[in-house]
Amino acid sequence: MELVIETIGLTKRYGSLTAVNRLNLKVEKNTIHGFLGPNGAGKTTTIKVLVGLLRPDGGTVKVLGREVHGDMPDVRLRVGYMPELPKFPKHLRGWELLDIYGRMYGMTKQQRMEQIPKLLDMVDLKGREKDFVGKYSKGMQQRLGIAQALLNEPELVILDEPSLGLDPVGMVEVRELIKEIAKEGRTVFLSSHLLFEVEQICTHVTIIHKGESLISDTLHNVSSRLSGPATVKVELAKSSDAVVEAVRQLPFVFDITQDGNMLTIELKTRDDVRAQISQEITKAGGVIVSMSLKGQTLEEVFMQLITKPQGEKRNEQ
Amino acid sequence: MNSKIGSSWKTRFWAVVKYELLWNIRKKKFLGMVVVAFILATLSLALPVLLSNMIGQPLKQNPDYVISTGAGIGGLGMFLFAVVVVMNSISGEFESGSIVPLLTKPVSRTMVFLGKLLAAFITLLSAYAVLFIYMAVGGTIVYGPQNNLHLLPLTLLGTILSTFVWIAIVLAIGTTSKSSLIAALGTFGIFIALTISSPIISIFTDQAWILNYVPGSGMTGYINGTNPQTPYTPGIAVATGTDNIAANLINYMLYPSSNVTFFNIGALRGQTQLVELHTEPLSTVLTRSILVALAYIIAFLSVSWYAFKRAQILE
Repeated sequence: MELVIETIGLTKRYGSLTAVNRLNLKVEKNTIHGFLGPNGAGKTTTIKVLVGLLRPDGGTVKVLGREVHGDMPDVRLRVGYMPELPKFPKHLRGWELLDIYGRMYGMTKQQRMEQIPKLLDMVDLKGREKDFVGKYSKGMQQRLGIAQALLNEPELVILDEPSLGLDPVGMVEVRELIKEIAKEGRTVFLSSHLLFEVEQICTHVTIIHKGESLISDTLHNVSSRLSGPATVKVELAKSSDAVVEAVRQLPFVFDITQDGNMLTIELKTRDDVRAQISQEITKAGGVIVSMSLKGQTLEEVFMQLITKPQGEKRNEQ
Repeated sequence: MNSKIGSSWKTRFWAVVKYELLWNIRKKKFLGMVVVAFILATLSLALPVLLSNMIGQPLKQNPDYVISTGAGIGGLGMFLFAVVVVMNSISGEFESGSIVPLLTKPVSRTMVFLGKLLAAFITLLSAYAVLFIYMAVGGTIVYGPQNNLHLLPLTLLGTILSTFVWIAIVLAIGTTSKSSLIAALGTFGIFIALTISSPIISIFTDQAWILNYVPGSGMTGYINGTNPQTPYTPGIAVATGTDNIAANLINYMLYPSSNVTFFNIGALRGQTQLVELHTEPLSTVLTRSILVALAYIIAFLSVSWYAFKRAQILE
């Protein structure tokens, strides 16, 4: 398991306030890792320590295998970072900003000429690249933030609340963009307080509250560990042993219980596999009257975690 | 792409310089300052012509006009240029939040700091050079052919060095306070305090030595054996402070082995007998003013650099 981010006992204080408290965080390579927490949980502080904007008061921090301290330009060459509600110099035009940042990455003119139009197209800013950044809307600045984070084709992309300030269409586009980034073999570490967003795109998740990590695992395990596996309830027109056996053979089925015409199928996955189950039942000669998927959502898990007393939470890590 | 990028620190450094230069030349404050400087330069050239026409006397030819006035940028001009160029160079980045994307790029804070300084230097050099050329052409038209125009680049460099004392002060206050307003007002406070206190100290302490070591105009003396600029003074005036490096450079080039004599200011004001205080070589006056300016520049820039290097980005 290759780690691109690793913190051990990371602590950051602002005066008497402990913003991040002995945080252990591990982000595996080639994952989309969601960093969840309510406002003020310590997400942005943690990210600012990761990118070298803040100095930790305790613990160790490694990014791409290198311990973080000082400027570390060689690590930053391989990292793309979009701050929460990014603010860019208003005196620059969109194109100029990306061009200058590209130069800061040491990109050649040819590389910039190839990469910048591609990114502007990707974030839907084509046609507005000659406008001053000061004239951009919040959403446009957010999209420009994503473009500059991808300029150097980084191995690790850190996005702090990437959907903040975007309209619903923009949010969907950003989610698709993040999936695309991950498909290209990059690791994405994103903070969000939008649980449905994390649930839709992340493979792994860490939940942080009051500066402490409550749980960190794959999205599936996080939900399963707290609520048990997802289950599918199927009502058949007529009970059939052949149907039960056929369903049991499906690779994602953990267990199946039968109560008259009702089947309760416990799953190993949290993916929606109702179509495959339906197909298998029909193939085995069964007739489905109704079917429902039941599994605890990340939102439920999140609420369950952050409303528990601290002692209980630590036991779950 | 990743394997190919990041090889050249020069590319990255010039990116920082370009980033800052574009900011400098697009600042309304800076553009306004340049316009005001041009208006004042035009007035200083045109008013004598207008007045001489009004009183019906032809304007006297003055072949030393340009070299003696430079671009006409006095202590106040240098202070104002310094403030408008760098008052928000670093503190403005903190205030606007643009420091966050900047400092997460693969450029060290030292590189950012030096890039901003170089950009300030280029900005000043360009603005002053255009003003100097304007004054040289205008001075030649108004006062006839000019002597020693080849020394103008020295004047330019001296003026920039003097301005950099104020630039270093503005940057130090701005970086430590992270506020452009405090940077501008703080430096203005220092400027006013020195402008008011220097003559007072000068009168009441017989030009105390301390005046040689504070930013601003410093002590006033006169070059021995030169023609006085006014009927009330004994020679070409020389000031020892950091604001006068350009004039001292030119005087040194024109009168390399001369001495400067300092007099009791009170005696001068009363038009009674001049009381000589002390005499020293012009080369000493020049060297000291340059070294004092460099000491201030290094000291204040070190403070700014350290504060910037250590700053945590909470914005």
